[in-house]
Amino acid sequence: MPELTWQRTPLLTIGFFIAKEVRHLIRNITNLLPVLAVIFVSNSAWLPYAVGGGYLAFIIISAILNHHFFLYALADDAVHLRTGVFGKKSLTLKYERIQQAEIDQSWYFRPFGLVILRVDSAGSAGKEVEIPGLSIDAAQQLRQRMLSHAHSNHHEPEAGEIELKSEASPETEVVFSLKEIIRAGIMDNKIFVLLAVLIYPLSQTDVLEETVVPWLEANIAFLEESLWLNVALIVAALIVLFVLAIGVTLVRYYNLHFSILNKRYQAKAGLFTIRTVSFRYQKLQRVQLRQNLRGRLLKRFSLRVSQLQPSAHAQQQTGNASFILPVLTQSLVSNLCQWLQLPRHTNLNWQRIHFIALLSPSFWIALVAPSALAAAYFNDVPLTWSLLGAVSLWLMLQSYAIARWRNYGFTFDNGWLAIKRGVFGRKENWYPLYKVQQIDVYQSPWLRLLGYADILVHTAAGAEVIKYQPAQLAKQLQQDWTGQIGRNHQRWL
Amino acid sequence: MAIAWKPVEPSYKTYLQLIVLIDMLILAAIGIGIYVFVPTTSWLPNPLWFGIPWAALTLFFGLFWSARRFQFTAYARTAEAMYLRRGALWRLTRAVPLNRIQHVEVRQGFIERTLGLAHLTLYTAGSGGADLSIPGLKLNDAEQMKASLVNTIADEPTEDDDHA
Repeated sequence: MPELTWQRTPLLTIGFFIAKEVRHLIRNITNLLPVLAVIFVSNSAWLPYAVGGGYLAFIIISAILNHHFFLYALADDAVHLRTGVFGKKSLTLKYERIQQAEIDQSWYFRPFGLVILRVDSAGSAGKEVEIPGLSIDAAQQLRQRMLSHAHSNHHEPEAGEIELKSEASPETEVVFSLKEIIRAGIMDNKIFVLLAVLIYPLSQTDVLEETVVPWLEANIAFLEESLWLNVALIVAALIVLFVLAIGVTLVRYYNLHFSILNKRYQAKAGLFTIRTVSFRYQKLQRVQLRQNLRGRLLKRFSLRVSQLQPSAHAQQQTGNASFILPVLTQSLVSNLCQWLQLPRHTNLNWQRIHFIALLSPSFWIALVAPSALAAAYFNDVPLTWSLLGAVSLWLMLQSYAIARWRNYGFTFDNGWLAIKRGVFGRKENWYPLYKVQQIDVYQSPWLRLLGYADILVHTAAGAEVIKYQPAQLAKQLQQDWTGQIGRNHQRWL
Repeated sequence: MAIAWKPVEPSYKTYLQLIVLIDMLILAAIGIGIYVFVPTTSWLPNPLWFGIPWAALTLFFGLFWSARRFQFTAYARTAEAMYLRRGALWRLTRAVPLNRIQHVEVRQGFIERTLGLAHLTLYTAGSGGADLSIPGLKLNDAEQMKASLVNTIADEPTEDDDHA
């Protein structure tokens, strides 16, 4: 084995380590709750500053130390890492085992032409490795080397070069215009996130009560005279927030490029931090097509492709790890379906579930109405009004349940299992059936009495339930599908 | 084509009964503890109010439930998949295709060891916990099944997806 040349990342990357510490702090904020409680209870003037300052010093020192002890070495077939200040960690990541390698151009590195290389390996532990502060060229070369290894699977040195050459010209490329991204912002509006972010600090300090409210009272007293003016003001504020929230989407998806190259699907976007997310067709476990109410009005869809997620990470990182195209026109959707080989056409045989599935939700809804009636009546609401209210509540809930049942459908076409649902927004999940991990048939005593069963399909990207199938059919489907999967020897991971 | 279900060992029923007994004894110990150690028990109802349902539950689980569960629990191996059915009132039939198995485990708990039982657990990708766990096997049988499964998985032909 040739001697490894250990390298340290550039000094600038201390910023990266600081950012990592801060992220770590935010993720583990609950651990600090006792300290925060002490600060609030003690009521001392200097304690918050001492804790804050101490923490700042801790972050900076640990970032410097972490930077100092972060060593990496690139061999022909693997990346070696040595990290850790006190507990040393030594990690070897074979290129063959690498699932994903992405280049992040963080905003704080972009002016210096540096990037972060993010590497994911297979395996249940879901080891993620980040090497900060590589130059763009070096990172790109390294990434190509890793991916070509993973792609060609076994030692074929030429394969890497071929891919390197073809890097310049993807087979398919779609560029999303600013207009489309703004549409994406309208569809997937982060207004509530923004609201929470803005309101939380405001509620913690007295700025609102001490400064803003008196100022408002002094200067725009005429507001109090008109209710409508107040309403208008609130609406205007919400609109401003809505527009700002579009900005959040814009920052993330600005200049979105989608490209396909050698069965590798890639999306690259960002205003400040340019992020690349990609997946190989082989690794696809689920395609999710979504359209919320705004999306339906704008006639746009959003698409999310999931890969295998180690379950421990799945909850935390879904946002980062899955591949999202936030805004797609109808024609682009059909193109994408073609590229992804989804058999999504207009005359799909969508199957509904038996209407007996409505029985149990209807039962609970029917219970809600009398209890609402009773609650209203005993709170001195006139009988007619409480009756009307209860009936309309029941009607609303019941029709929602029926609409939900009517809009639910599943289909099995060309080796894909698709499930659609949604009353106001629409959601379609597509799973390649041969990648399914296990299939359950479940019967509660109630279902057994009726002669029905639920089918649970567990895939590597989550589970899906098909309710109320006739018991015999469910068992038959389970056997058929299991047999098909068992006889399919395509690679699924 | 019907699945050829194989029942599990009869001592699995004893195992279930022992588990029920232990759980119910723990409950009883908590109940007795409350009556003995709480200083004023006047606000508590007569111990019989808890004792009789406790006895009924113990009898229900020990006789009816464990018998039903034992009766329904079975496994089957076909050329493509491993099947397991379990449950007494809420019933689940699970199928795991052999070529999706990630790893296989044989485990023996303390009570299982005294009864000479073991369980075989198959894991697949994506879900967190154990995926298919066949209880109530003789240790030898479990080891044998594990060996044959591992062999099958290792011999699995894989074909590259690229041309598809």
